[in-house]
This record gives sequence, structure tokens and C-alpha cells, in this order.
Amino acid sequence: MVAKVYKRSAVRIAVLLFAGVLVCILATTATSQDAGAVKKVLVLYWDTKDFSGNISFDQGFQAGLNAEPNSRWELFSEYLDSTRFPGEHQAGLLHDYLREKYSGQKIDVVIATPDPALDFLIRNRKDLFTDCPIVFVAVRRPSIEVLRAGAGLTGIIRANTHRKTIDLALKLHPDTRELFVISGTPELDKRFETLSREELAGYEKRIRITYLTDLPLPELLNRVRQLPQGSLILYVWQRFALKSEKSLQTTQVLEKIRQNTSVPIYGMGSRNIGYGLVGGYVQDSERNGLEAAEIVRKILNGKRAQDIPVDSAASVPMFDWRELKRFGISEASLPSGSVVRFKEFTFWEQYKWRIVGVTTLLLLQTSFIVILLVERRRRRLAKDALDQLNAELETRIEARTAALNAKSRELETFAYSVAHDLKAPLRGIDGYSRLLFDECSGSLDDEGRSFLQTIQASTDEMNQLIDNLLAYSRLERRELKTDRIELTPMVRALVEEKKREGADQEVDFVVDVNGATVVADSSGLAQSLRNYLDNAIKFTRKVSTPRIEVGSKENARSCLLWVRDNGIGFDMKYHDRIFDIFQRLNVAEDYPGTGIGLAIVRKAMERMGGRAWAESEPGQGATFYLEIPK
Amino acid sequence: MSQTQPGPIRPILLVEDRAMDVDLTKRAFAKRKLLNPIEVARDGEEALAFFDRWEAGEPLPICILLDLRLPRINGLEVLRRLKNHPKFSTIPVIVLTTSTEDRDIEEAYKLGCNSYIVKPVEFDKFLEVASKIELYWCALNLPSR
Repeated sequence: MVAKVYKRSAVRIAVLLFAGVLVCILATTATSQDAGAVKKVLVLYWDTKDFSGNISFDQGFQAGLNAEPNSRWELFSEYLDSTRFPGEHQAGLLHDYLREKYSGQKIDVVIATPDPALDFLIRNRKDLFTDCPIVFVAVRRPSIEVLRAGAGLTGIIRANTHRKTIDLALKLHPDTRELFVISGTPELDKRFETLSREELAGYEKRIRITYLTDLPLPELLNRVRQLPQGSLILYVWQRFALKSEKSLQTTQVLEKIRQNTSVPIYGMGSRNIGYGLVGGYVQDSERNGLEAAEIVRKILNGKRAQDIPVDSAASVPMFDWRELKRFGISEASLPSGSVVRFKEFTFWEQYKWRIVGVTTLLLLQTSFIVILLVERRRRRLAKDALDQLNAELETRIEARTAALNAKSRELETFAYSVAHDLKAPLRGIDGYSRLLFDECSGSLDDEGRSFLQTIQASTDEMNQLIDNLLAYSRLERRELKTDRIELTPMVRALVEEKKREGADQEVDFVVDVNGATVVADSSGLAQSLRNYLDNAIKFTRKVSTPRIEVGSKENARSCLLWVRDNGIGFDMKYHDRIFDIFQRLNVAEDYPGTGIGLAIVRKAMERMGGRAWAESEPGQGATFYLEIPK
Repeated sequence: MSQTQPGPIRPILLVEDRAMDVDLTKRAFAKRKLLNPIEVARDGEEALAFFDRWEAGEPLPICILLDLRLPRINGLEVLRRLKNHPKFSTIPVIVLTTSTEDRDIEEAYKLGCNSYIVKPVEFDKFLEVASKIELYWCALNLPSR
């Protein structure tokens, strides 16, 4: 039995131990699950869901919560709505409702905004969200006791900005003499007037302040309609809970006031901007939401609410651009950091960068076009200048050519005239010397007759010279006449002519011209060949068996003709000089000549685009060539 | 040859400005026993003045020896007027000049000269020329009397 009891106790201990281990494991699991569990956050708003301030706050708040990476949270929103449902009884009903509703939910943090919501929570904390830290956004700072009580309380104080707003308004409207403060609550409790009076204490010395508090709407509108010049309205807050008609929101009231007055309206509510306020130092609800979310995140991450100091919310100078314009207030005169809402952007402001871009592009394009046009103009001018220069050059060349031609003609005429006029006296000398010889030779001795013969020989020489000069000069002036010429008959005729002329001289002529046909100036070609033949005959005169060959050869571009002799030849260093006019290599007594014959050949060939040259060795004969182009 | 009439030996008209050439020509013809008298015009104007004398009844020359280079009115102009003349255009004209220019030769023949002879420098050749002129123009070309 004892053993049995013992055994049973052992089993019990084992079961207990197992249970304990199990609990521990479960607890650990639960804790680790808690760390990643969804946090539940409740926001208790004062006004309704549609209230613009609430909407802005919600946007900021949710954005703030989402800023934490991997955060998991669930948001609940509740609305006090005490303006529409005022009184302790309604507050009690709401308390009961919330208590019942959230009895099964463990809310991690409650947010209250603004003061009425906070007041409600503090009042009911003993049985509503008792263990839940509260984060508030309110105007009044809760007492130290309240802050330290329960699960903790912290938040941000939205400082009243009445004074800053008035200072700003007076700066922008320096002629202000009177200030009208508009506020009113459905409870008619003058709560906002009291607050404003506290805030504006001291300003009475500078301006007259009139409080238009809790006036019925028609009377209020009537008052604002009659405000004197130099007045300002400070719009604090005004709602009407009218039984006969739909209750008016504070923004709706503001709109009506704006429609009925000509004086500027300033205020402190960011939600009122856009409904008639010129501006003011405002608490921005969205920003408040963001700041509240930051505190909530700290608490959700394990920080105690009591350890987070209560902070003041920043106020921002905010303006309605349309109202600024209405009262002629420039943006430059606003304090730095001002937010200007409802700005109607000018075309410039709206499309500044596009305009700048497009304008820059246009300017660039225009510049390019201008550059191109300038370049084109420069080129055209340069071309014009060049054309002009060319034209001038052309004219000058023409003038110069004409002058040269005239000069050349003049010289030719001169040479021609000289040659002809030289012939007349020559004829006299020859004629009379011959008459003298014929008719008076009997009265002359041998020496006298020898003198007469010398005179006649000189006359012959002079006559020859003049004839050659005339031929040379005529060559230059004569028009070039090109014909198709068969070389063989031409050469043969010329050789026969020479044979006749030099019948006394035994020359062996060999003609081997291969029937070629050339297109050339026949007179020039005949003259050239004649001169070559004369030349050959002259320089073979002292050779025992004179031999003169005339040959030809053709190629694709030209026809080559040559006259080869076995005469005295010449030194090749003079090969070119012999074609110059009046150039002679031998003394006149040995080989009489005028020094013009070969010059005529060269000139004649040049005129028909051909060439004349010679090859030789002294004592080895010479070959004179003519090249006639095809 | 309607103007040509039988009768005394008709003259030769020599139009030449150089006295020396006139003298040599006369001598050359004389040496060749040419019987025709030689009348001389010393320039173009003098040559044209013969027109009046011929109109007045003086015998027409058997031929005219015409130099081209003449003072005042040149030989080609004399030739042109003569050959355009209704009465005297048939008188044979022998251009006797120093010019060997193609231009002058062509122009002279175009205007109607009957012969173009280049004056030779050598007197011997000149004598030959004189003979040939005499033979052709004064003997062979002469219509039967």
C-alpha cells in the first residue's frame, strides 16, 4: 500500500513537472508571439468623422505608424461628437458604449485629440481603458498628478498661437486700429473668448478689441458687414447647433463671414485655411498626427508613457494665396517658412521648367539657325568677293592679253614693214650695181669689177636674210590651216624641188616614208621639211658622197619624220641652241646662212602642237626630227 | 575691150611712188626693147586723175603696173575704183609690189587684178619680169590691129 501511495505521488509529480515544462514552453511561445502580435491603437476624436481636422490628423497618424518597418497594428477610431450630442448624459452613454464595445479587446494605446476627448478619458479612466497608456494632442497641459496616474499619459501640447497670429496680422496690416474676435460654441460657454482674452491681454493698448462671441448668425453677419476700415477679424471658432436647420460647421460659418465682410480674417486653425482666412500661425493636424504616431511607436516598442516628456507642437505660418492676393500682400513680406496654400500657379510657375527647356531649345535652335545663316552669308560674301576677284582678274587678263596681242601685232607689222622697206633700197643697190657692171664695166679695172661683185653678193645675202625674216614673221601671223596630208608625195615633191635647185651638187637622196597620213598645217610642214632639206644639203656640201635620208615612223599618238645626213654634224651641247633664231655654229664663209631656217621649223611645229629637235655627233652626220601629233 | 582702138602704140601706166623704182622699171623695159611709152602716176590720187584724161580722149593704157603701197590713196583702193569704173574696168592691171602677203594677194585678186607679181630684188630677175609682162600683156594679149 505504501509503495502504491508512493508510486501514485511520483506519477503526480511527474505529471506536474510535465505540466510545468509545458506551461513554460507555451509561455515562451506566447511571449515570442506577443512581440510580433498585432498592436491595437484607438484614437478618440472630439468631433465627427467628417471633420476636416480629424481627417488630416488620421492621415498624418497612419503615415507615422507606417514609418516603422514591419509594424503590425490595428487602428480603431471613435468620435466624442459632443457638439451634436452634448451633456453629461450623452457622455455617460458613450462611456458605457465604449466599455462594452472594447471589453473583449486589449487596446495597447489610446490617443485623445483634442482637449474634450482627453478630458473624457481622464474622467473615465477608472473603468475605461484603465491599463492603457494615453497619448494626447491638446491645448491644455494636464497636471503632474494626472500625467503620472495609471498606465501613464503623455502627448503634445498645441500651444495657442493667438499672439503670434495677431502680431503677424498687424505686421501685414500696419494701419489696423480695431480687432474683432469671433468665437462661439453651441454650449454658449464663452470658453474660446476666455482663452482669447487671456492670450490677447496687453493688446488693448495698441488696438481696440471687440469680442463677437455667441452671436446668432444673422446678427454676426450683420456686424461683420459693417466693420469700419482698419479692422481685422480674428476667427477663433464658431459653430451653431440650430434646431430649425442643419447645424453649421465652423468652416461654413467662416465662409459666410468671408462673404459678408471686406476686412481680412486671420485665425489659428489649419482646417480653416481655404475657407476665408488670410492666414495665421496654425497647428497643422496632419503634422500633429505624425508627431502623435511617433510617441505611440515608442510606447508600442516598450517605452513607458511616463518616461516620454510632453512636447509642444510646432506652429506654422500658413496662408491662403487667394486671400493674400485679395489684400495685396506679397509673398515676400511673409515670415520665413510660411506655407502658402491654394496657390494658383501662374503659367510661368506651373510650366517653368518646360518653358525654360523649350525656350532654351528654341534659343539653341535659333542660335544654330542664326549661325548657319551668318555662315551662309559669309560664304556667299566670300563667294561674291571671289567671283568679283575672278571677274576682275578675267578682265585684267583680257586687257593684258589684248594689250599683248596689240603689241605683238604691232611688232609683226613692224618686222614686216621693215623687211619690205629694206627690200626697196636693196633693189636699188642691186639694180644700179648691175647697170653699172653692164654699161660701165669697160671703164672699171678688175678691182672695181670685184667690188661690184661683192656688192651684188652682199645684196643676195641681204635679200635672203630679209626673205627668211619675212617667212618667220609671216609664220606667226598666218592663220593655221590644218589639212589631211599624205606624207610620201609631199616629201617626194620637196626632194625633187631640192634636186632641181642643187642640180650641180651630187646628193644621194633616199626617201623611205611609209605612206603615213597626218593632219597638219601643210604650209608649215612643207616649210619645215624644206628647211631641214636645205640644212642637210648645206652641211653635206663638203662631204665626198653626200647622202640624205628622209624617213618616218608612226605610233598611236604621233608621226615622226626625220631628215638624216652624213654631213659635218654638231656637238650635242648645242642641240637646242641651233633652233634659236640667228644662232649659227659655223662661220658664214664656210656655211652661209641666215640663222633663221631652224627657228622657222621649230616655230611652225610648235604652232601645230608638234616638236622639232636634232641629234648628232661632230663628223658623224645629224638627224633632224619632226614630231606631228595625231 | 571696147575702149581699145587701133592706132599709135598705147602707153603703159606705172603707178609707183619711188623714183628709183620708176627709173629701174623704165630701164628694165628699155633693156627689153619695149616700145610702149611709160606714163607714171606717183601716188593713188595721180593714178585716179588719169580717169579724167582718158575721159577727155587720151589713149587708154595697154596695162597698168600698180604698186600697192602708195601715199594718200593706196593701190588696192585705186584697183577697186578702177575695176568698178563702167568704162575703165577692162584695162588689165598687173599688181607689181614687194608684198608677199597672202592677204594682199587674195584681196588684189578679189578686186579683179589680172596678175600679181612680186618685185624681185635682183635686177636680172626684174628684167625677166619685164620681158614676161611685155610678152604677155603688150604682145600676146593685144587684140589684132
